[in-house]
Amino acid sequence: MTPLLVLNGISAGYGHQVVIRDISLGIEEGQLVALIGPNGHGKTTLLRTISGLIRTRGGSMTLAGRRIDGMRADEIVAEGIIHVPQGDLLFPEMSVFENLRMGAFLPGAASREKDRLEEVFALLPKLKERRHQLASTLSGGERRMVGIGRGLMAGGRILMLDEPSLGLAPIVIDQIYAVIQSLRQSGRTILIVEENATRIAEIADVLHLLDNGEFAWSGSGRELLSRPELLAAYLGG
Amino acid sequence: MDVAVQILASGLTLGALYAVSTVGLALVYGSLNMLNMSHGALLALGGYVCYYAMTVLGLPAIVGVAAAMAICGLAGLAIYHLAARPMLASRNFETQIFIATIGVGAVLENVILRIFGPQPVAQPLRLQGALVIGNVHIPNQNLLILAVAVAMMAVIAFLLNRTRIGRAIRATAQNRDAAQLMGIRIGRVYAQVLALSGALAALSGILISSLSSLLPNMGGDPMLKAFVICVVAGLGNVYGAVTAAIVLGLLEAAIQYVFGVQYSFAILLVLVIAVLIWRPAGLFGRGQVVRL
Repeated sequence: MTPLLVLNGISAGYGHQVVIRDISLGIEEGQLVALIGPNGHGKTTLLRTISGLIRTRGGSMTLAGRRIDGMRADEIVAEGIIHVPQGDLLFPEMSVFENLRMGAFLPGAASREKDRLEEVFALLPKLKERRHQLASTLSGGERRMVGIGRGLMAGGRILMLDEPSLGLAPIVIDQIYAVIQSLRQSGRTILIVEENATRIAEIADVLHLLDNGEFAWSGSGRELLSRPELLAAYLGG
Repeated sequence: MDVAVQILASGLTLGALYAVSTVGLALVYGSLNMLNMSHGALLALGGYVCYYAMTVLGLPAIVGVAAAMAICGLAGLAIYHLAARPMLASRNFETQIFIATIGVGAVLENVILRIFGPQPVAQPLRLQGALVIGNVHIPNQNLLILAVAVAMMAVIAFLLNRTRIGRAIRATAQNRDAAQLMGIRIGRVYAQVLALSGALAALSGILISSLSSLLPNMGGDPMLKAFVICVVAGLGNVYGAVTAAIVLGLLEAAIQYVFGVQYSFAILLVLVIAVLIWRPAGLFGRGQVVRL
């Protein structure tokens, strides 16, 4: 069976700078795949390339067999790749409710808005309490939840999460991980960028270590945890 | 008492005029970070199209207004496709588009000058008569301006808050990347905003010329005031711009009465400078750019 999302020799960057080089990867339906590695080595750039915010410089991408490289970001969303960006990027002057509704902007998602909203509120009950509050007045953890909830409103076939635990208090990180776990159990396909390699290694099916724009290592969580030299060299732990 | 009513009436008319000419600018800046320096020329174009349709072609007023809004809307679209879109990816977009639209405005003004000549022309869309309250005469034309401004603001508010297009515009203005990740085609939003802003400019040009007269460079002064109002409100903030427009209109009317017409703009600018020293991000700005 061919994987749901396939990247074949993808390169991309900003201006004259190439940030990621010759990246190939496949994500199968229902898998949780993690991108790990030091800061500034292209993890976020890779996600932004997949979602079409950055144009590819070479290589090809397919989703369920359809070429998606060269599509605009809005077309890629319509194809079913949902990107929850780093730093949440909420709409600050909209309420929590309006932010969530924006996630279901496309006609396909809009028709199922009510059901999805119930699901999101069931998964993230805090958002129901806060639904009339402006996004700019939320705490860091709440903002993160809105970002994830907004992504879930879109449905989609792959959910990409960019550092969902970044800058949060340990207790909030636990909550976020509980959400990720339950998304995984419900069969979602997830591509996640994570700084904290040991924590994500416990739940990911496959991890890719991105170093200086290229994959330096790929393997399962158990393999990573059994190689302390890898953790020490690249991940400072 | 009569004086107060008089100041209130002319101040509200001025404020309404300013609001109509400012909203388009604020919308465009809010969603594209684009200062549209051709806005003044679009005001003039709208005024002249209405004049041409009514006086030369003999069409009814409503057709003249509709034609002016349609043509200026198309001009806005053209500005997006020919000037803004090719520069969008550039890092210096804000500076480049600022200069490019100065060029567009100059071309447009000279085309108008070439076709209609430099002499002032009377705008045919004008109501006769006046409403009399005590000893105060309020021209029906002023009431029309007020009514049009209120209707326009209601339509804009409805559009922004209750329609799909409006949600897309607000999302794009608040976070461009996030808007794309929601599936919004931001290029289309930009085109819609510039077309809408062009149509509003036409409306504004017709109203302004109905109080004075048509001149090819008639848009310069209103555009300057519209920029001042945008800056006072906080760039890109549409509702703030409407509030600031009305406050400045009332202030201007009061200053004109107390000190004389020749001082009004100078005193207004001094007040604006004071406001910006007190709140550099504008009255309704919150540090960072807050939009729509």
